[in-house]
Amino acid sequence: MRTVRAWLRRLIGTFREDPRDAEMQAELRSHLDLAAAELEGRGLSKADAARDARLHAGAVPQAMERMRDQRGLPWLADLLQDARFGARMLRRAPLVTAVALVTLTLAIGANSAIFSLADPLLFRDLPVRDPASLVQFTFQYPRDPPQNDFSLASYERYRDGNHAFSDLFGLAPLRTESRTGGDPIGVQIVTGNFFQALGVRPAFGRVLTSADDAPGAGPVAVVSWQYWKTRFNADGRVLGASIDVEDARVPVPMHATVVGVAERGFSGVVVGYRQDVWMSLSAVPDAMRSRAGLSLIARLGPGASIEQARAEMRVLHQVDIEELAKRDPQWNRVAIDVTPARTGLSTPLHQQFGGPLFLLMMLVGGVLLLACVNIGSLLLARGAARQHEMAVRVSLGAGRFRIVRQVLTESLLLASIGGMLGIIAARFGATMLMRIMTSGTRALGPAPSLVIPLDARVLTFTIGVTVLAAFLFGLAPAIAAFVSAPAPALRQITGAQPRSRRVFGNGLVVAQVAISMALLSVSQLSIAHLRHLRDRSLGFDRDRVLLMSVNTSRAQNRGQLTALYRDLAPRLQAIPGVRAVAASGTTPIAPGAASRFLRAEGFDEPEQDRRRASLNTVSPNYFATYETPLLAGRDFRDADVEQPRRVIVNQALTRQYFAGRNPLGLHVWLENDRDPYEIVGVAADAKYHDVRLAPPPTVYLFAPMSRGSTDLSLRTDVNPTAVAADARRIVNEVLGADSVRRVTTLAEQVDADIVPERLMAVLAGFFGTVGALLAAIGLYGLLAYTVARRTKEIGIRMALGATRGDVTRMILRGALTLVLAGFAIGAPAAFWGTRLAATAIENLSSGGVAPVAAATVAMLVIAALAGWMPARRATRVDPITALRAE
Amino acid sequence: MLEAGSRQRRHRPPVFDIQIEPVYSIGVPNEERAKADVLQGTLDIMILQTLATLGPSHGYAIAARIEQVSGGRVRLNMGTLYPGLMRLEQRDAVRGTWGVTDNSRRARFYAITAAGKKLLAAEKREWDRMVGIMQAILTEQG
Repeated sequence: MRTVRAWLRRLIGTFREDPRDAEMQAELRSHLDLAAAELEGRGLSKADAARDARLHAGAVPQAMERMRDQRGLPWLADLLQDARFGARMLRRAPLVTAVALVTLTLAIGANSAIFSLADPLLFRDLPVRDPASLVQFTFQYPRDPPQNDFSLASYERYRDGNHAFSDLFGLAPLRTESRTGGDPIGVQIVTGNFFQALGVRPAFGRVLTSADDAPGAGPVAVVSWQYWKTRFNADGRVLGASIDVEDARVPVPMHATVVGVAERGFSGVVVGYRQDVWMSLSAVPDAMRSRAGLSLIARLGPGASIEQARAEMRVLHQVDIEELAKRDPQWNRVAIDVTPARTGLSTPLHQQFGGPLFLLMMLVGGVLLLACVNIGSLLLARGAARQHEMAVRVSLGAGRFRIVRQVLTESLLLASIGGMLGIIAARFGATMLMRIMTSGTRALGPAPSLVIPLDARVLTFTIGVTVLAAFLFGLAPAIAAFVSAPAPALRQITGAQPRSRRVFGNGLVVAQVAISMALLSVSQLSIAHLRHLRDRSLGFDRDRVLLMSVNTSRAQNRGQLTALYRDLAPRLQAIPGVRAVAASGTTPIAPGAASRFLRAEGFDEPEQDRRRASLNTVSPNYFATYETPLLAGRDFRDADVEQPRRVIVNQALTRQYFAGRNPLGLHVWLENDRDPYEIVGVAADAKYHDVRLAPPPTVYLFAPMSRGSTDLSLRTDVNPTAVAADARRIVNEVLGADSVRRVTTLAEQVDADIVPERLMAVLAGFFGTVGALLAAIGLYGLLAYTVARRTKEIGIRMALGATRGDVTRMILRGALTLVLAGFAIGAPAAFWGTRLAATAIENLSSGGVAPVAAATVAMLVIAALAGWMPARRATRVDPITALRAE
Repeated sequence: MLEAGSRQRRHRPPVFDIQIEPVYSIGVPNEERAKADVLQGTLDIMILQTLATLGPSHGYAIAARIEQVSGGRVRLNMGTLYPGLMRLEQRDAVRGTWGVTDNSRRARFYAITAAGKKLLAAEKREWDRMVGIMQAILTEQG
C-alpha cells in the first residue's frame, strides 16, 4: 500500500515539481554550508573548507539530477518530453502532418468501422456457455436460400431420437408490428429448454424450463435485460406483467406472463436482430402450434463431431424429406446440413453481407498497410532533412536507442491522434453502413437491427491497429535514425545519401505500387460484378420504367377486369412522355414470385425430375414495355381475351423442354390445371425474381389485369417520376380513390435487390481509389525528391549536351522501373486477391486476367501523371544555376 | 534528454563507498547502475536507524553520524543521501520539515515516523535473517 502511494507521489511529481527545484537546491546548499562550517571549526580556511566540503559531499548538479529522478518517474518524464518534442516537430511540417493524419484517420477509421460490423456477425462468440459446441441445421431447396425451418413434430422427433447432441432447442421469431409506429418489438417463441441449454441464467425471477412446454402450462415469457431497462424502467414489478403481441399469421393476439429477466449481456442467439422477449410455446394457440416453423440449434455432446451429427441428422430428416417429396419430387435433392453456430444463428444478414464484410476487412487492411508504407516513406524523406539535428544530438552524447525511442514516440503520437479521429469517424461510418445494409428489399427478415458496439473488443482492435500502424510507419525513420552516422551529416555533404537508404526508399514506393495494384484489382472486380448484375444480364431495359401497384378489387370477374384494362391502358398511354403501358401480376425483381410444375408436350421425364416453371400473368404490350424482344411467334393481343389459354414462353423453357423443336403451336400443362395451354410466342430470357440467378424457364399467361392487385408498368421517354402524378390521377379515376398502393421505378426496384453488391462496389471502388491516390503521392514524392537531389547531376548532363527529352526520359525511366518492380510483386498479389474475393462472395467469378490488366493500366496512367511534374521540373533545370548551387 | 557527462574524478580510492556511479563516454553512452536494490535497502536501514537513535536530524548530521559510526568506511555523498531521504519520505517512513540549526542556519530536519519505525524493525529482522543464512552457507555449519 505504501509503495502504491509512493508511486503515486512520483507520478504526481512527474507533472508537478513537488518539492520544487529551488527547495531541493537550498537543502543541498545547506548541506554544503554545514559541512564547510564543521571543517572551518577544525581549523581550515574558509576557501579550503568550502572546497573540501564540495569534494567530500559531491557536486550539486549531479545530486540535483538524482533527486529529480527520484522525485518523478524518469521514464515517464522522458516519454512526455519525447511527445512534446514530437508534437513540435509535427507542427513544424504542417502539410506532411495533415496528409498523414487524414490518411491515418481514413485507414484506421475504415478498419475500425468494418470490424465493428463484421465482429458481431462473423467473429464474436455468443455470450453463452461453451459456444464452440453449438451447431445449427439448414437445408436448401433448389434456387431458394438456405433455411432453418422445422415443424414442432420434427423437432420432437429429432430431440428424442438423436445421440449426437446433449441439447436440442428451437426458436421461432414472430412478425410483430408496432402500434406506435416505432421499431417493432422483437419476440421469439422458444422451446422450454432454450435458456438452460444455452446456460443463460436469470438476473431476476426465473428462466423458462421444459415444464413450461408441458400440456396445460400457462404461457410465460422472459424479457431481455435491455428491454427491461428501457420499457419497464428496471422496475422490479415486471414479474407478473403481461406481454401482448400480434403476429399477422396468427388470428388471435398472444399473451404471456413475465416470469423473469435474462442476465445482463444476453440478447439472444440471432445476431443482428432485435430480441426483447422470449415466450414459451404455450403462448401459441393449440391449433397453430403444429404449424410453427422452428429454427433449430443443438449442442454437440461430449466426444461427438459435426460429421457424426450431420450423418445422424440426414437419417432423421429423411422421414420429412420423403413426406415432402410425395408432393414435390424436387425435395429428393435436398440434404440437411449441420454447421457451427458459435457466432449465432445464420440469418439473411449473414448470408447477404457476411461475404462482402469479410472481403471489405481484407480490403481496408490492405489500405492500412498501404497508408503505413506511404507515411513511412513520407517520414523517411523528412528524416533525411533532420539528419543534421540527429547527428548533433548523437555527438552530444545521446544514446542511439534514445533517439530511436524518440522517433518511435513521434510515430506513436501521430498514430494516436489518427486513431482517436479514426474511432470517431468509424462510429459515423458504421452507423451509416448499417443503415444502408438494412435498406434493401431482399428479404432480411423481421426487425433487423445490428447494435454496433463501441466496446472493449472494438477498442482493443482499434488500439492494436493504431500501435501496429505506428510501428509500421515509424520503423523506417527509426532505423534510419539508428544508423545515422554523425560525421558526414555534420560535414553537410548533401546528396551523399547512403545507398542503403536510397534502396530502402525505393523499396517503399515499390511496395506501395504493389499493394495498390492488388486493391485496384479487387475493386475493379467488384465494380464489374455490379455492372454485370445491374445492366448487362437483365434481359430487359431497366431505365425509365414507372411501376405502380394498384388495387383492382373493384372488379369481380374477368369481364370487368378486361373492361378496366381497356379503359385504363389507352389513357395512361396518352400521358405525354409515356411510350408503352402494360399490366402484369408481378414485375421483374419484385418481392413476389409464382411457380408451378410444368409438363410439356412431347417431353417425357421421370416424376422425380419434374421441375417448376416461373409464372407471370401479363397483358398485351408487356414485352414491348420491358424491351424484351420476342424471338418467335407473337405478342398477346386484345382478341386473346376470348381464347385465354394461350401462353408465351421464354428461351430457357424452350431449351429445356423443346430442344431442337419449334415450340409454337405445342402445348404445356400446369399442375392443378387439367386443360393444356397453347404456345403462341417465344420471348428472350429475362431475370425473374432474383438478379443473381439465371433466368428460369418462364411461362407468361394472358390476363389483362389480375384479380385483387395488379402491377402497372409504364415505359417513358422522360424521367419516370415526372409522369407519376398524372398516372396516379388516372388510376384513381378508373379504379377508385386510393387505389395506388406502391409507386417506384424499375431501376430502384432492381437496385433494392442488390444492396450488398452495390455496397461492395462503392466501398471497394472508394478504397481502391484511395489506394491509388496514396501510391501516386508516394511515387510523386520520391520522384520530386530524386529530381531535387540530382539537380546538380542534371545540370552537368545538360551542360554536356543532354537534351530536354533525354532528361525527361531519364526521369520517367526511373519511374517506370519502380512501377514495373511494383508489378512484379503486385500482379501475383492481385491474382491472389481476386481469387480470395471470388471465394468470399457468391456468384463472383475471379475474372481471370481482366481485373489485373485493368489495374495495370490504371497504375501506368498514375505513374505517368505522378512523374509528369517532376520530369517537367527536371527539364527546367538551368545548368549554370544548378552547377553553382549546393 | 541530452546526457553529457564526464568521468568522475576522485582523489582517494574509496574504502567502502555507496556511490552509485554512472559511467559516460562520448558517442556510445551507456549507464551502469550498480544493483541498487540491495544497496538501497541497506541505505534505508542506515538512515532510519540513525534517525531512531539521534532523533530529528538534518541531512548532514545523518551523513556525519553514519560516517563516524562506521569508522570512516561509509561515506554518503549528497547524490546518494538525499534521493534516499526523498524515497523514504515518499513512503511515509520519515517526515521532513524546514527548521533552524543550533548555529542559526536553515536546514531541513527529518524525523522517523511510526510507520518508519515499523519499517526499520522489519528491515532489521530481514537483515538478521540474511546475515544468518550467509553465515551458515559461508561457514558451512548446520
